Parts: sequence; structure tokens; C-alpha cells
Amino acid sequence: MTAQLIPDRPAPARARRPKRTYAASFMYDTPGPRGRRNILLGSLISCLAFAAIIGYGIWQLASHGQFAAERWAPFTDWAIWQYLLVGLLGTLEAAAIVAVLGGALGIVLALGRLSRLRPVRWLCGFYIEVARTIPVLLMIYLMLFGLPQLGINLPTLWKLVVPLTIANSAVFAEIVRAGVLSLPRGQREAALSLGMRPVQAMRHVVLPQALRNVAPSLVTQLVSLLKDTSLGYIVAFTELLYRGQVLASYLHLLIPTYVAVTVIYLVVNGSLSALASRLQRGSRRGSRRRPSTQPPLPPLPATPHQEESHA
Amino acid sequence: MTRSTTRRKAAFAGALLAAVTLAVTACSSGSTNLPGSGSSSTSSADAVFSGAPVASADLIISGSTMEKIKKRGKLVVAEALDAPLLSQQDPTNPDSVTGFDADLAKLLAIYILGKPNVEIVPPASETREAMLQNGTVDVVFNTYTITEERAQQVDFAGPYFESGLAVAVKSDNKDITSSKDLDGKTVIVGANTPAVTEVPKIAPTATVTAFATDPAAVQALIQGRGDAYVQDYTLLASDAASEKQIKVVGQPFTKEPYGIGLKHGDSDFKSFVNDWLTKIQKGGQWGQAWKTTLGTVTDSAIPTPPKIGSVPGS
Amino acid sequence: MNPLIDNLGPLVQALGTTLLMAVVAGIGSIVLGVLITIARVSPIPILRTAAFLYVQFFINVPLLALLLLAVFALPDAGLLLPLTPTAIIVLTVYEAAYVAEAVRSGVNTVPVGQVEAARALGFTLAKTLRLVVVPQALRAVVQPIGNVMIALAMNTALAAAVGVVELTAEVNKVNLVAAQPILIFSSAGLVYMAIALTIGLAAGWVERKVAIAR
Repeated sequence: MTAQLIPDRPAPARARRPKRTYAASFMYDTPGPRGRRNILLGSLISCLAFAAIIGYGIWQLASHGQFAAERWAPFTDWAIWQYLLVGLLGTLEAAAIVAVLGGALGIVLALGRLSRLRPVRWLCGFYIEVARTIPVLLMIYLMLFGLPQLGINLPTLWKLVVPLTIANSAVFAEIVRAGVLSLPRGQREAALSLGMRPVQAMRHVVLPQALRNVAPSLVTQLVSLLKDTSLGYIVAFTELLYRGQVLASYLHLLIPTYVAVTVIYLVVNGSLSALASRLQRGSRRGSRRRPSTQPPLPPLPATPHQEESHA
Repeated sequence: MTRSTTRRKAAFAGALLAAVTLAVTACSSGSTNLPGSGSSSTSSADAVFSGAPVASADLIISGSTMEKIKKRGKLVVAEALDAPLLSQQDPTNPDSVTGFDADLAKLLAIYILGKPNVEIVPPASETREAMLQNGTVDVVFNTYTITEERAQQVDFAGPYFESGLAVAVKSDNKDITSSKDLDGKTVIVGANTPAVTEVPKIAPTATVTAFATDPAAVQALIQGRGDAYVQDYTLLASDAASEKQIKVVGQPFTKEPYGIGLKHGDSDFKSFVNDWLTKIQKGGQWGQAWKTTLGTVTDSAIPTPPKIGSVPGS
Repeated sequence: MNPLIDNLGPLVQALGTTLLMAVVAGIGSIVLGVLITIARVSPIPILRTAAFLYVQFFINVPLLALLLLAVFALPDAGLLLPLTPTAIIVLTVYEAAYVAEAVRSGVNTVPVGQVEAARALGFTLAKTLRLVVVPQALRAVVQPIGNVMIALAMNTALAAAVGVVELTAEVNKVNLVAAQPILIFSSAGLVYMAIALTIGLAAGWVERKVAIAR
């Protein structure tokens, strides 16, 4: 088992080890009778507290008529959901393109920043710092207002994708670079001593491991990116949040519409995170079965996102 | 879980996503970029669009914007999708965008092209001038108030409608009966609407709170985050009609002339559009468009359209 | 230059609101984020699950939707607050999830030997966390938390949608009359850039001061 004090997900209930061992492995001894009683008491109190707060909230909402049928009736209409889901497709399309392009560019930039040639390092470093600090909103405005004056007229999708790619590639680059730096130097040295050229060492030994290490941060950034596509309203790109806005003004219903939009985002982003952590766990377990050349590595501090969304 | 199981699960998830995508796009009518081919085929729409004037060939001067539009085959309009009665997209039928601004845009398209082929690009209010300058859109039909500052960046045809700001309050509010009672109160306005500058003028001691969208502002008023909501009176009338907890009080207290935004310096196109505006006002299509959209929430008769060029900047 | 200079007073005031929101929500989110991470480690299963769900929920939902729901749905749930405090609370709660993720990774970099040594010395869970784990965890994730703070500063712009008079709202108001978007929005962008750079530099300075030599 890797040395994680807090695993990515809580230990699954069907773990063959008895539940006690999870906590006992690390922070405290196996709880004795008094400890177990205190834990039970704590559980009961927290449970009651949560139930009370949630119950009170629901009761208040009901008394203000927020659960009235006519407020939620439009959402039994498939056409309304279809309207939102088409917006979701736009969101996913833009996010996928930015993820692929930004990811590729990010890896290139990270490698550039780690290169032995100083001008390359400096250039990549400069780009990364600038792209990370400029607000994404401003970048979109600048491209929207500035590019046509240079004669470049991009289709709507690319008006959103290009600034997002520039901004996210810088963040991806920093994440990948942190991943590469967290790898023990011995990996690269061993690869070089085996006769690999530096490029081969990077491609076959360092980069795969680095990417595996930072996969959680990459997924967090991907989710952040998906939410950033809501900036598409500025360039009139059809995406979910703007469609929610149109729907809210059509139905004259604010809260149910945004609850629906929130649920859609939650489902999509949640499954994305879940899928990614499944894949990561699967690949981690798979790599351990192969004869590995090094002991399991401590996980890397996740470098979280830069998120930008705007009204 | 073995690697192959994980791969199979990932492949299954991908296939599921692809299936859902196909299902949704197969059933959906897609984006707003499809020509609005009169799918709102109610009899009132017929009254507006049938018999709408079409420009004769000699009016389409060669080399002008009109010819470019005619060659392209569609009119690109910057118009909102979330403005009820003015230009609102119907989520159950995304091809259908109805409202006063939307109908006028279709009429202009008929005038140039013979068919209401309109491509709608919803602008953010801060990007309207840039969109015209860059040629991203041909015209702006977006309750675009004519001001002299804006007239330095864009040209205005019209004004095509004169509106005004009015006051809405909660139904049980007896303190505020007109715009004169707003001093010292908390007034809700829509961000990027003329009310932002008008309210401080008539009520300097009022606290102004701006919300990004109209549904948000209405909700804020109902929840008591403000004493009054100042907004275009037709929007308020539409809100009050669907929300019993608010009511409109008093008469409109300002005059907001709406103009058609055009690229700066394009005088051929401007006189062309003004020409069209005169024709549809005389032909009754303007009045019909008003009656089927803004007129549905008030009892008053069809107003007289404002005189073209009567406002500084137009 | 003119429209910005003409409205300098309101703009500076709005900038003050932005900074206030960023600072208060920043401090609040760090505190709340650490608490959530502690909940993740606690022996009470309900708290562990609740903390996990909390983080998953707020990372996966867009901030604008949350702001709208908080401003308009919460009053009906019994909690009506003025706009700016509501926005600050939502920002705190939202960014706390990201801070919690960052601190969790930080806790994972603390060598298990540290915890075992603390246990061998007879530390209770609370003491272990307070004296051994959390300080080292925080020191390891200064840069990621700095990134979260930068994102928070950028996200204050969303509060304009719900009526808070901060920099973006005021800038939009100025542009409404002046109609010079490039000048006005570029200047606003530069101000946000300056804020981001300041936070980044501060994070770098803090990191140098508390770096752990391992």
C-alpha cells in the first residue's frame, strides 16, 4: 500500500481489512472501548447536526413555496433538458479541444523549461509566467477585440478555445514540470547509464512516471477548464451556463434552472473525476505488478488550478 | 481491478458518451446559427412578415454592405437570446427567437434578401461596438440606446423605438408610487442598462444595486434586497404579468431611444436602413411587430414610432 | 485615459471591495480548508465522508451557479444576508474545497515516520495534527495554496453578477457610458494582474521562509 496518510478516496466499505486498521495504520492507535464509545458519540452528534441543518433548510424552502410543483414542472419536459444538454455538448467540445491542445503544449513548455539551453528555458519560463498571470477574461477580450484588427477572423469555437488553450497550457506546464521535478534524479541517471539518449530517457522513463504522479492535479485542472468554458458567453459560443441563463429568463424561474444546471455540472465533472481516479488506481496497481525498478513514490503535492469564470 | 477491466470500463464510458451525444444531436435542432426560417408560423407572425417590403435591385448599391449581405445570403445580427418580448430564444424550439428586436431583424433580412435568413450572435453588452467595428456582425438589434458617446464608435440608424424606464415594487408596497419616491431607498437595476446612470440622476440619495440578469433582479426585489426595481417598462410589464408578487407603479420617467447599431462611417448602409425603417413604419409591419410582442403586455394602442434621426447621435 | 480618471473615486472604492473580499475569503478559506482536511483524517467515519463529499461537490460545481443559488435560494431557506457578506461566504466555502485538496496532498508528503514518532511519544491525535502534521503539510504546499488564492482573487469578479460593487462591476458601469472597452478592460485586467503578481510574490517569499530542507 502506498504511503498515503489520506488516500484519494475514503477506504471502500468492502475492504477485506477490518475498518479499524485504516485509522490505526497511521494517526492513532486502535481505539479501545472508551475510544470506540467516543467515536460512536461523535458520529451520532455529527449525524444529528447535519440532519438538523439540512432538515431545517428543506422545511424553510418548502414553506416559501420553493418546492411547489409549477416551479419544477417545466423540468419534466424533455425538450428543456435537451436544450441544456446541447449546451453541455458545446461545453464538452470546447473543453476537450482545449484539454488536448493545452495538454500537448503544456508538456512541450514544461520540457522546454527543463531544457539545458538557457534561451529555451528563459523563453518558456517567460511565456508560462505571463500566461498564468493574465486573467483569462482579459485574454479573451484582447483576442476578441484585437485579432480582427490584424485581419484574423476566427470561427466562434476558436475564439474561445485559443485564449483558453494559452492560459491552460501554462498551468498544465507547471503541473507537469512539478511532476518531473518530484521524480528522484536516480530515474534519469539510471536511464542515461543504460545508454539511452536524454530525449529517450525523458520519453520512456521520466515523463510517463511524472504524468502518472500528477494525474490528480491534471484532472482537477481539467474540471476547472470545463467550468472555464462558461466564458464562452463573451464570444457567443453555445455552452451550458449561458443556455441556463436563456432558460431562466424564458421560464421566469431562477432557482430551479440553476439547480438543474448545477446538477448537470456535478454529474459531468463528478464522473470525470471518478473515471480519472479509477484509471489512475488501475494503472498504479498494474504498474506495481510489473517488476518495478524503484519503490513506490510518495505522492506529489497537487498543484491545483487557476479558475476563472465570469458572469 | 485489472488493467484490462479498467480499459474496458473506460471504453464503455467513451462509447456511452458517444451514444448520448448522437442521441442528443440527432433530436436537437442545433445552434442558433440556423436560419430563422419563420418556424414561428403563427398567424400573427404571418401578419408581420407577409407583405413585408423587399428592396428593389437598384437600392442594393454595388460594393456596399447590402450587396455583401445579399451575396452571403444571411444577415448577421447581434441580438440577445434572453430578453423576453424583445429577443427570446424558445428552449423547446431553439430555432425560434421571438420578440420585437428579433422580428425587426427578420424584416430587415427580408428587405435585403427576400427571406428572413438571420444568423444571431448574442453579444455581451461590452462587445457590441467591437463586433460592429470588426465586422463580426452586420447590425445590432439589442435595445441599443443611442448616446453621443456611443455614436463616436458606431453609427445608429433610427431610432426605431422609444422606450422608458419605469419602477416596479412588491405588490404590498404602498410607500413608492412613482419614480419621485426613490430617494433614500435601495433601488435594484440591471447591470449594463440605462437605469444604472438614470437612477442616480433622479434620486441621488438612493443606493443602487445592480444584478446581471432580469430574473435575478426580480428575485432580488421579491426577497426584499431592494425596495424598487427600475427597468425598461415593457420588461417590467412582462415580469409583473408572470410574477404576481410585483407590480409596476407610475409612468415611464425617462425616454430611451433604441437605435440600430451599424459600422461607423457606413453612410450608404445607414441611409438604406433608415429607408427600410420608414417603409415598414408606413406599411404597418412595424406596428404589427409591436402588437404581437411588446403590445401583448400593455393595453395601450400601437404607439407612433419616433422620428428617424431625431435623437443626437442617430 | 479620461473615463478612468473621471471615475477614479468609485473605481478605487470598488477596488477596495475586491481586495476586502479577496483577503477575508482567502483567510477564511485557508482556515476552513485545513479544518476539512482534519475532518478527513478524523476517526469519525461520518465526518470523513462528509468532508470528502464537500470537496467533491464544490470542486465540480461552477462558482457562478453557486453564487446565484446562495444569493437567491438561501434567503428562502432562512438565511438572508447582505450581498457582500454572502459573496464572501460563498467564495470562502468554495475555495476552501480547493485548499482542502492542496492541504491533503501536503499531508501526504509528510513522511509516515513523523506520525509514527509522534505516536511513539504518546501524542494524542489532536496533538499530532497540531504540532507535527499540519505545520509540515502547510509548509509543503505554499505554492499550490498561493495558486488557489490567485484564483480566488480572480473569482471575486463573479460577485458582480449578484450585485456586489467590486472592480469588474464598476468598470462595466464606466464602460456603459464611455464605450471604450479596450482601454477600460485592459486597465482592469492590469489591476487584476498586479493583484495576482503580488499574491504570487508573497507566496514565493513565504515559501522561502518556511521551506523544509528534506
